[in-house]
Formats: sequence, structure tokens, C-alpha cells
Amino acid sequence: MNNTVYVCCGTGCLASNSMEVYKELKRFIEMYNVNAEVKTLIKATGCNGLCEKGPLVKIEPHNICYSKVKPEDAEEIVLKTLIESELIERLLIYDTIKKKRVISHKDTDFYKYQQKIALRNIGEIDPANINDYVERGGYLALEKILTEMTPEEVIAEIERSGLRGRGGGGFPTGLKWKQCDLIENFPKYVICNGDEGDPGAFMDRSIMEGDPNTIIEGMTICAYAIKSNTGFIYIRDEYSLALKNMRLAIKQAKERGFLGGNIMGSSFDFDIEIVRGGGAFVCGESTALMQSIEGNVGEPRAKYIHSVERGLWDKPTILNNVETWANIPKIIMKGSDWFNTIGTDNSKGTKVFSLVGKVKNTGLVEIPMGMTLRDLVFKVGGGTIGDKRFKAVQTGGPSGGCIPESLLDSPVDFDSLKKAGSMMGSGGIIVMDERTCMVDVARYYLNFLSEESCGKCVACREGIKRMLEILTDICNGNGTESDLDLLESLCHTVESASLCGLGKTAPNPVLTTLKYFRDEYLAHINEKRCPAGVCKNLTSFEIDKQKCTGCGVCAKNCPTSAITGEIKKPHIIDTSLCIKCGNCYDVCRFDAVKIAKGVSV
Amino acid sequence: MKIIIDGKVCIAQKGEMLLQIAKRNNIFIPTLCHSEALPGPGSCRLCVVEIEDGGRKSIVASCIYPVRREIKVFTDSEKIKAIRKDLLMLLYARTPEDETINNLRKEYGVPDKIRFSGDKEEHCILCGLCVKACEEMGSNSISTIMRGVTKKVSTPYDEPSSSCIGCGSCAYVCPTDAIEMIERDGIRTIWNKDFELVKCEKCGKAFATKDQLEYNRKKLSENHLDVYCETCKRVITGEKLRDIYQP
Ligand SMILES: Cc1cc2nc3c(=O)[nH]c(=O)nc-3n(C[C@H](O)[C@H](O)[C@H](O)COP(=O)(O)O)c2cc1C
Ligand code: SF4
Repeated sequence: MNNTVYVCCGTGCLASNSMEVYKELKRFIEMYNVNAEVKTLIKATGCNGLCEKGPLVKIEPHNICYSKVKPEDAEEIVLKTLIESELIERLLIYDTIKKKRVISHKDTDFYKYQQKIALRNIGEIDPANINDYVERGGYLALEKILTEMTPEEVIAEIERSGLRGRGGGGFPTGLKWKQCDLIENFPKYVICNGDEGDPGAFMDRSIMEGDPNTIIEGMTICAYAIKSNTGFIYIRDEYSLALKNMRLAIKQAKERGFLGGNIMGSSFDFDIEIVRGGGAFVCGESTALMQSIEGNVGEPRAKYIHSVERGLWDKPTILNNVETWANIPKIIMKGSDWFNTIGTDNSKGTKVFSLVGKVKNTGLVEIPMGMTLRDLVFKVGGGTIGDKRFKAVQTGGPSGGCIPESLLDSPVDFDSLKKAGSMMGSGGIIVMDERTCMVDVARYYLNFLSEESCGKCVACREGIKRMLEILTDICNGNGTESDLDLLESLCHTVESASLCGLGKTAPNPVLTTLKYFRDEYLAHINEKRCPAGVCKNLTSFEIDKQKCTGCGVCAKNCPTSAITGEIKKPHIIDTSLCIKCGNCYDVCRFDAVKIAKGVSV
Repeated sequence: MKIIIDGKVCIAQKGEMLLQIAKRNNIFIPTLCHSEALPGPGSCRLCVVEIEDGGRKSIVASCIYPVRREIKVFTDSEKIKAIRKDLLMLLYARTPEDETINNLRKEYGVPDKIRFSGDKEEHCILCGLCVKACEEMGSNSISTIMRGVTKKVSTPYDEPSSSCIGCGSCAYVCPTDAIEMIERDGIRTIWNKDFELVKCEKCGKAFATKDQLEYNRKKLSENHLDVYCETCKRVITGEKLRDIYQP
């Protein structure tokens, strides 16, 4: 039987040395001449999503998945698994919920609840080889529309599917295409938004790196539908692997006749050019992105006239997000009825999230819309690290909101997240536990936004600056209760008077924390206390003599040696040396370290 | 097409900007960054109004909102007043000593003492009109640099710009007189650069810089241009016309 060994070479795994693993495996397979009995092929694939367990090595068709593989493990894998068909227990993934090792990554809860549409090929194909994509049904959707469907039928099919944009706003994709199609003004343009400016997000990067052809196919289908001949893919400069794989895919697609002139023998021409972006967060906003392609400073313009009518160079333009594009070929192939069976009434299909923060399983996940936040955090994510008390989940990127425990049973879809004061955004999910200060979280995001606002309009630029000032004061212990009213008023002004989506959504982190965690704000203001033990001026750590067993773990973990005590006797913290890092609190197994009010020195 | 602004029926052309229509109908909407000659920055946000379009209410910047349907507009509702008050408080915090901003903020009830403080020397509200004016002149000597809270208007690398002709268009359009332009002993100083001033051959007023006239001459590809100020130019043209038609 032929064995195929897949080595994940997404950015996450590459960073943990997967290229070395790949080389070593290749070397040992040749050295032991595995080819003689077992034909083995090594492939470099895109991201599997389970990045924190990388580098991942999969062995098919046995469905074996090894995690955290080191180059030194290569020889053993070849000898034991490939030649002797034995499992190497130590390399199997440990499922944090089942509390045992599992053979295939697909057996873990992390994967079990997922459903892959946009990520269907990621980790399964070699992105540098278009044949892999074609073997898995790639470009059949393009062939289907070119031979069997009229442009109007394509638009109608996408409209019926209920697909909504995955880049933030959730605008119905089919409707966007239809509006653009109705405008008689040529040329028209098709753009892929691969700017992905949310810090910590990497779903779009993974698709561009791991399955670039699906984007090309999606865009070409749209171009046929709205009668466009030119497309642009906007990729931020730091995404070097995405740029490389995307370029290669375009070249190969042209060679194979899937792109360029007379596509697949039809008379339809479409070409795609890659544009590299400087990487400002605001350049992901549609109108700023178009400004940037035109060579201007990436500043948004008012959208009173939509881009479908007047976009790039004032011509009708369709701009969709990477993940939106990745859904298109699959919808065309399997039909809108199939797509309609997945998700909720108003949010069809799946959504890719990058799950990070204080959660056991971090990485990329694609789940059907409608799964509850609780399942996303506790089943897919495996719960909080160290089983600490869950506090909130932040969705939607820097201008999303923080959703508390009480709303964890809301389904993950566009409307429910919005109702909770947050948003889908591009799909960042950050899990926060009891050691996260919600005032500090709001401050953190506003600080990011104050630097990333383009600075054009007064409401956003000056409003965010002053809100940040208030939040910083509260974190430092200089806030007053009247500050909260002022904050709320500023939130409403910034939200309603800003020009673009950045300003309009910037108050979300403040509004949601004020709404769901007001007691934390009040503790900072009235008691000069940070309940999470984060804001340094308002925090001190104390050891409870009754509970301390004198195990000494805290003292070992204290970076400034501020903790002293004899073994088996209660320890004490020297507040003059303490830098309030909270290590002692986090490592104590006897609940003996307490978070107290700040002490003025 | 008819739209209703604050209860008043107004005639509008499709695509016309809302602010324009309001103005024509003597409905006052405050603005800072709006200039008839340089439309479109939409940055000061003071001109926001509430609109009702098919039952849906939203807030838009009237200077850049093209009217396309029969909408209802509210230019001075409680909501709008509250937004303008906040915006003026923010501008006042940025430019505490600026006269234009102080007059406006008093009008909208922003008290003297506010929670925030700002640089007493600052007058620029970053509306962007100066940059547009300079672009329009074709000399592109100033631009906004950086983004977010650090954004500012400057010449390249804060050095005197080689392309600046000292025409002062930027200073003339500035709503808060934030651009320093000093004229002394026949020399105009602006953006850290000195320019020789030229006098009108008719009335003797120093009205333009030498670089500016040279720039215009090249732009029009003329060998010689008469050196008259705007007022005298008008008078001279009028006299010529009179000579032709009423000899
Ligand atoms: C400040 C800001 C940043 C944005 N960044 C991105 C981004 O990085 N990627 C993206 O696809 N959309 C981003 N968007 C949303 C885009 O403006 C646009 O709505 C989206 O790309 C449309 O595609 P879709 O309909 O497929 O979602 C951003 C929006 C704002 C306001
Ligand atoms: S809302 Fe912010 S980011 Fe958007 S145009 Fe205004 S200043 Fe720029």
C-alpha cells in the first residue's frame, strides 16, 4: 500500500522547524529505501489549524497524526511507523477532553465539531502544485459555470445560498454581485481582500498559503458573472509565504488555461494581479484598500455611493474577503440547497475562527454557524487553561466586543453576535479568564485603534484618543464615576459621527465592557482595586497564612525574589520588591495567594 | 425631486449634496472643513444630520451626502446637537486657544472647563483643506503624514519644500488660521521658507511671491505676464470691455 506522509508547512509549523522535519523524513525514507516496499511521498502542505501542536506530520491512508514532531523523531517515524506499521505513542496528540492520546487528529474534539468548507483543502494538498487542487475537484466549478450556466444563473445561485461576506460586515454576497451586475459601466473589477489586519488573526493567511487556487477559482467565477476581465488580490507585505504561493498558483493556473485569455476554451478572459499592501489596519477597509491600489494614501471615503457602483478608479467593483472567495467554488459544485442546510436562518454555512487566548486548544477552526459560543470555547477549544474561571470571550477583532459568561449560549452567527454588542468581524476569538482585567482589555484595544485610525475624521481620531485617556486614568487609579458617563457619551458620538467602519465600531470594546463588567470599572474607581490583579497601581499580592503550606513554588517562580519563607511554613511577599507580575497567584495550588488593593509605597 | 429638511420642503437635484440644498434654502448647518472650491474632505463631521430614508434613520455627513431619494432630514435634533457638542468639546480639547473653535463651542454649550487638556499653541484641526488646496495648485508641497493620533500636516521631512511657491493658498483656506504666514520687509515666510514679494504694477500692493508668478508663467507657457493684483486685474479687464463696447 502506498503511504503518503504529509508535513504541515504553514507559517505556524514552519516557525517550529517543520522544514527540518520534512528534510529529515525525506533523508531517512531514502536512506532506508522505504520505496522498495512502501511507496512514500512527502508533501509540504498548508496549515492544519492545530498550530500550537505543530509541526504536524500525517501519515495516510492510516490516518495517523503526529504532533510536535522534532527533526530527531524522523528516523523513528520511518523505522517504526512506515516500515513496522507501529504507532509512536509519545507523538500522538493528547486530547485534553478525553484525557488520552488519539491516533488521528480527526479524533480529537478540536476537529470533531468542525466542518470544513473554506478550509477543505488546507493541510490536504500541496499548495505549490495545482494538480493536487485539481485532483480534489478543483476548477470543476469553473468548468461548470462556463459550460452550463449563464452569468445570471451564477448570481442567482450565490444569492440563494445565503452566503454573507466573511470579512467583517456580513453583507450578502449574491446581492452585492447582483447590484454590480445591474450597473452598465465597464470595465468592472474584482478584488480579493487579503489584508487581514486584525492582530493575531491568520485565517485568510492560511487559505492564501494553503489553498491559493480556491481564491483564483472563486474570483474567476465572479468575474464571469459580473463580466469583468481584471482582478486584484491585495496581500499585506508581511505575508511572504502567501505572496509566494499565490504568485505560483496564478502562474500555474494560467499555464493550465484556468486563468488568462479564453479560459478553458471559452471566449471569457480574466486575469489577476497581486498588489502588496503596506500593512496598515485601516487599509483592510474596502474604500481605503481601493485608494491604496490606486496608489494613494490608504484613507477611507464615505460609502454613500457603494463600491459596486463606483469603486476602484470609480468603476463598478466587487470586493470580497479571502474566506468568502474560498466558499464560492464549493457552493457552485454542491449547490445552494446543500449550503442552506448548514448554519442558521440568517447566517448560512461555516465560519473560520482563529481561537486564541486562555484556552487549551488554540488554532484555526471552521465551525458551522449556529454552534454556541460555549461549545466553541469548551468543546472545540477544550476549556480554559488550567481550568481557571472563564470570564469573557472577545470576538470580532480589535473593534469587537467582550461577551460574558451569561451569554455563552448564544449561537455564533452574524446577528446574535451583533445583538450581544460585538460582531463577527473577520473571525478572531480570544478567550479570557479571571486573570484578565476588562478595563485593561478595553484600554488595550483603544490603544491599538488610536494608532491605527487613519486620523482623517475628528470623531474617530480625537474621540478614541480621549476615550483612551480616560481608560488609562481608570487603570492607573485616577478615574471618577463621572468618567463613565463621559465615556458613554463619547462612545455614541464616535459610533455615529465617524466616517468609516473603524470609527463606527471602535467603541465596541468600551461599550460591552461597560455593559457587562461595570462592577470592574467601579472597583477600579471607587475601591482603587483591580479585581483581576492586572492594573499595577491597583494591585498587590498577599499570602494567606492559614492556607499557605509552605511548598515554596511561588518563591521559585518569583522573578525578583520578593517571596521568602522556610519550607513548610507560611511564606511572605516583600511588597517593596514585588513587581506584581502575578506569577505566585498563577502557580499556587492551594489558593493561598490573594489579590488585594494596591498599596501606596 | 423634493426633500424635507426640518419640516421645510426643498427642491433638490438628484446627486446634489445635502449641505448645498440646505444652504440654498437658508437652513444653517455648521461646518469647518467645507469649502465650495475644494469639496469633499468630510473630516470635521460637524455637518452631520439625521436622515430618514424609507423609514430607516441614519446619521450622515451632509457635505458629502448625495441626495438620491426623497428623504426627510433633521439638522438640529437633540441627537445631532449632542454629537456636535461632543465634537466641539474634542476640538476644543485639541486646540484650547483657538478663536474659531472657542466661538463654536460656546454656541453649542461646551463649558470652559473640560476634563481634557491640549497644547495651547495648537490651532490645526487636521481638516485637510490645506493639503487639498496645495494639490489643486499643482505644487503638492504639503501632505498629511502618519496616521491615528500622531497624524499631522507637514512638508516632506519637515524641511522647507523645494516645490513650495509661497502662494499661501493653504493659509487662505485654513478655517482656524493655523498656518503661520508672516509678511515683513517685502518677504513672505511660510512653511519655514522665505519668498520675495512682488508689488502690483498698478496699485503697488505686495500681492504675490516671485516664485508664484514664475510658476504661473511657466504653467501658461507665456513669456511675460502682467504683474497686477486680483483687484486691479478686474478693474483693467472691466476697462478693456468698456473700451470695446462703449467707446
Ligand atoms: C477598519 C476596517 C478593517 C477591515 N479589514 C479587513 C480585512 O483585513 N480583511 C477583510 O476581508 N475585510 C476587512 N474589512 C471589511 C472590508 O471593508 C469589507 O467589508 C470586506 O472585505 C468585504 O468583503 P466580504 O463581503 O466578503 O466580507 C475591514 C473593515 C474595516 C472598517
Ligand atoms: S473613522 Fe477613523 S479610520 Fe475611518 S476615516 Fe475616520 S479617522 Fe479614518
